[in-house]
Parts: sequence; structure tokens; C-alpha cells
Amino acid sequence: MAPLETPLPRSQGVSVASVFERYGLIVFLVALLLVAAALSPTFLRPANLVNVLTIAAPLGMVVVGQTFVILVRGLDLSVASLMATVAVLATAFKATTNDAIPMIFVAAIAFSAVVGLVNGWLVARRNVSPFLATLAMMIILQGIRFAYTGGAPISTLPPGMGFLASGRILGIPVNLITLALLAIVFGVVLHRSRLGREIFMVGSNPKAAFLNGVAPDRVIILCYVICSICAGIGGLFLLGYVGTVSNWVGQGYELDSIVAAVMGGVALTGGRGNIFAALLGVAVLVVINNLVLLLGFPIEMQLIIKGIIIIGAAAFYRTRLA
Amino acid sequence: MSAVVAEFRRNRLSLSYVIVVALLILLVVAGGFLSDRFLTWRNFGNLFQQLVVLGMVSLGQTFVVLLGGIDLAVGSLVSASTVFIAHFLEWRPDLLWLALPLALIAATAIGALNGLLTIVLRVHPLIVTLGMSSIIFGGTLMYNKEPGGSVPRGLADFSYAKLWGIPVTAIVLVAIFALAGLWLQRSRSGRSIYFVGGDREAARLNGLPVNRIVVMAYALSGLCAGLAAIFLTARTGVGDPRIGAALTLQSITPVVVGGTVLAGGRGGVLGTLLGVLLVTMLNNLLNFLNVSSYYQWVIQGLIIIIAVSIHTTKRRQ
Repeated sequence: MAPLETPLPRSQGVSVASVFERYGLIVFLVALLLVAAALSPTFLRPANLVNVLTIAAPLGMVVVGQTFVILVRGLDLSVASLMATVAVLATAFKATTNDAIPMIFVAAIAFSAVVGLVNGWLVARRNVSPFLATLAMMIILQGIRFAYTGGAPISTLPPGMGFLASGRILGIPVNLITLALLAIVFGVVLHRSRLGREIFMVGSNPKAAFLNGVAPDRVIILCYVICSICAGIGGLFLLGYVGTVSNWVGQGYELDSIVAAVMGGVALTGGRGNIFAALLGVAVLVVINNLVLLLGFPIEMQLIIKGIIIIGAAAFYRTRLA
Repeated sequence: MSAVVAEFRRNRLSLSYVIVVALLILLVVAGGFLSDRFLTWRNFGNLFQQLVVLGMVSLGQTFVVLLGGIDLAVGSLVSASTVFIAHFLEWRPDLLWLALPLALIAATAIGALNGLLTIVLRVHPLIVTLGMSSIIFGGTLMYNKEPGGSVPRGLADFSYAKLWGIPVTAIVLVAIFALAGLWLQRSRSGRSIYFVGGDREAARLNGLPVNRIVVMAYALSGLCAGLAAIFLTARTGVGDPRIGAALTLQSITPVVVGGTVLAGGRGGVLGTLLGVLLVTMLNNLLNFLNVSSYYQWVIQGLIIIIAVSIHTTKRRQ
């Protein structure tokens, strides 16, 4: 029998490396903020910071969901397409009064849940790789959406949708409040509940989870449903921010959400990660995008930097594991 | 009869070929009934011309997928190569002999870099090639945002040239596929791709130069993207920084439909060629039937799911 406590190979003293391992992202974010502040005196003003965070909120919502899926060794490429489809769905009510908003939310969440259910079913039950299953879902949703709209943008929306995206309660943007609520609810689910423990178990070792009486299939499907619901809600808030529904609302969010989660230390191999760190990843991503503009670089530079960051971050966390 | 079925069960690969070929025949017959313009020499000429670019990119993707990897940088690489070729040729149309090899070398080098990064950083190819795709796309856009450049007459003629009514580009494509198939089946280095894809650790323990094989497969994918870019630039006459964007995901469908398993180690280029044919022919027929391209997307998504569901063995717990 193996001893319960194996001796640690390394000393546990506090080294610079270990501090950087744990707080690296925060240090990095603070450094970025300082650079940004040095470059532009207006950057660190609360008004500007709130502005930046408001733009980032829908992405944050998607990242909350993406984290769940990545934790069970998956990934969801259909989130952006779902966001746009939910946005189109919101206009399908042809509502011009705010009474329709609750109905829009219920419909959007129900639709997203079905999409997540199909994704999860394909991955868990049909053993389709998450990449292909969600890729196919992305294309299918895109087709359905365009077939409905004919490719034209629509703008019949209840006026209240705009308030959701850019309105404020007690000076705090509504979408930030929503993101915080979403993160806290799902953070508690993930890090404090039985389901959360099962998710980590399935992500780090599905076989062991199964032997411990956890049904991996059910947990995986649930993660995809949560991811899609988060993306759907994110889509509604992004829609309100943009104002009109183009068929490409949220384009690029599938990759950005994965980049942010990976930067936040959510391991693509599953079983390791933290929702709040992933959200920190969103902050870093958004500040970097802002910084590129502040530095006067062309906007295309964002693409290059994003590419370097995602490879670099994945490599960083990979060596951390080794 | 049951013996035949059992034989096919043992060898899933040929079963998937049979399925795809049966679907192709079904499609041709159905197409002949549904549209009087579908089963014409002229339409098939066009069809073969259309599938050259997708076929080339999918071939490259096949090498990488056989290895258990994936290359999401191909689309950006195709775009970047078309921009390079068209702008170089606008500057010096007489240097065609130099421009094309340069483009191929550069594309191959970038492909090799992808493979190298997956090994050196030990990061999942999905992330590496995704990041590289973003970098390449950003770099191309910084050089030029709009389609531009031009190609000399000779190159444009090449893309529309026909031999006995068959597009020359399609003949070149089939020849390249045949070469690739022979190489994969018959040569030591080709077969080692299957070995590495099937079980990387076992391949390493058997003394195969695993790292070199991985870099080679990604380099080949880059080379194929470069060749696709040549075909594409010849046909369109410009370098467009966005033209390849859709190719990345499109190139995966034929590979999967052709029975190459994403986990690596099983499949082949013949399946990919049949997959390209199936996808292109289906879209062609749907166009004739006036089905909107929106529904074609839905159908493409369903094809991926159905193909993968057929090819993956059900998990046993």
C-alpha cells in the first residue's frame, strides 16, 4: 500500500517563482494597468475603467460558461454563434414594449439550454469530439439564423434592452451587476457544491469519477448546458449594447472566451481552473486590447498580440504543471 | 454475406470508404433526376475546378489529423500566401519562377513552426495553431487590409486550362493526392505518421524520430496551404487577406467525412478526396436546386455530426 503522505520532492519555501505562479496574473494585470496609466492619464479614471469593464461584461459571461466546459476536458466553439442566434430570437417577438423582456429572457435561456443539451449529448453520449460537435453546432445555428433573417440586420427591440446593456443602478452598470451575480452563483456551484466537486472529478479523471459513483455523462451534459445558458445571456446583453441585431453579434467570442479562460489558468486538459481567475483573464485581455490602441498601434496588432498571448499563456501553465 | 460484413467491421476504414462512395453514387443519381443541368460534362468541369483549393487544404489537414493534431492556421496561411503572391507578382510579373517557390517555402516554414511550437512548448496543437492563425491574420492585415495585387496572364490561364475537357488544376490535384497516398502507404516516413498518430509513446519507444515526424506533418500542411494559395491566386487574380478564413473549418469536414479519425492514426487521403468530392458535389447540387446557402450550412453541420457518429466507436464503460 502506498503511504498516504508522500514526501514532497521540493522544499516548500516561498520562492519568487511560487509567488509568480500563484499571483502571476494579478501582477501582470497590475503591470499592464500601470503601463496604461503612464501612457494615458485618463486610463485609470474610474469612468474609463467602468467603461472598459462594461464592454468586457458579455465576454465575461461567456467565459463563466466556457470554464465549465473546459473543466470537463471540452471546449465550446458554438458560443458566439449561439449569442447571435439568441439575439435574432430576441427580435423574433417583434416587441416594442418592455413587457416582452421577461419573455425574451425565458425564451433565450430555454433555447440556449436545448443547444447545450444537444452539444453535451453529442459529446458525452455519442462520443463526438467536443471540437467537432460544437463546430457543427456553430455552423447549424449560423444557417438557421441566416435562413430566418435573410442576412439583414433587424432593430425591433424593446427599449429596455438598451438599459440592460448600458444602464446603471446606483451608478453601477447593470451588465456588471449581472456578470457579478452570474459569477457568484456559478462560482459557488463550481467551488462549493457537490456538483462542482463532481465536475472537477470528471475533468481530472472520468474513470475514477465513475468508480466513485459519479455519472460522467450527466455531469458533462450539465456543463454544456450551463455554458450555453451563460452564452445566451451574454448574447442578450451584447445585443442591448450594440442596439441592432446583425447576424454576427459576438463574432470572435468563441476564441476570446477560450483565450481568457486559458490565460486565467483553466487547463484545457480538464480538472483544473477557477472561475474568478478566468474572469481575471478577461480583464487582462480587455486591457491589452485597450493598450494596443493607447500605444497608437493599428488595431490589427491586437490579433498578433492575442495570438502570442494564448500560446504563451498555455505554455506558461503547462510548464507550471510539469 | 455476413462474412463480408464481418470483414468490413474488422476494417472500419474500408467501410467508411464504401459509405462515402455509396453516398456519392446516390448523389449523382439523385442529381441527375432532380436537375437536368447537374449531370453534364460542363458542370463536372466546373465542379472539379471548384474543389481544387478545398482539396489541397484538406490534404494538408489530413496529414496533421492522422498524427492526432489539428491545424487551425491553414486558412490564415492561405490568405497570407495569396497576398504575398499577388503583391510580389504585381511588383515583378516576370519573376513568376521565383515568387511561387518563395511562397511555398514560406508557407512550409510557417507550417513547420507550428509543429515545432507544439513540441517545444508542449501545448495542444489546437491552441498553437489558433494563436498562429491570429498572428498570421493580424500580420497580413497590417500589410494590406483590402484585396490587391495582380497576377500575370500565364498564371491566370493555367487555372482555366483544360486537357481533354478536364481542368488541368484538377489533374494536378489528383496527381498530388496519388503521390501523397503512395507516400503514406508505401514509404517508411509516410507510414510512421500513422504510427505516431496511433500511439506516440509506443512510436518513441520503437525508436522513431517522433519530433521530426510531427514537424514534417505540419510542414506538409503548410506546403499544401501554399499550393492552395497558388491555385486560388491564379483563379481570382488578387491577394485577399480574408479569402481563406472560411477554409480552416471547411477543410476539416472532408477529412472527417472521409473517415480519418480526429484522435489520429486511422484514415487516409483517399477518404479525404472522396470527402471533398462529396461536400463540393452536394453544395453544387443544392445550388442547382436553389437551396439557399444558409440551409447548406445547416446541412454541412449535420454531415459532420452524422459522419463522426458513424466513425466513432461507442464508448464502453
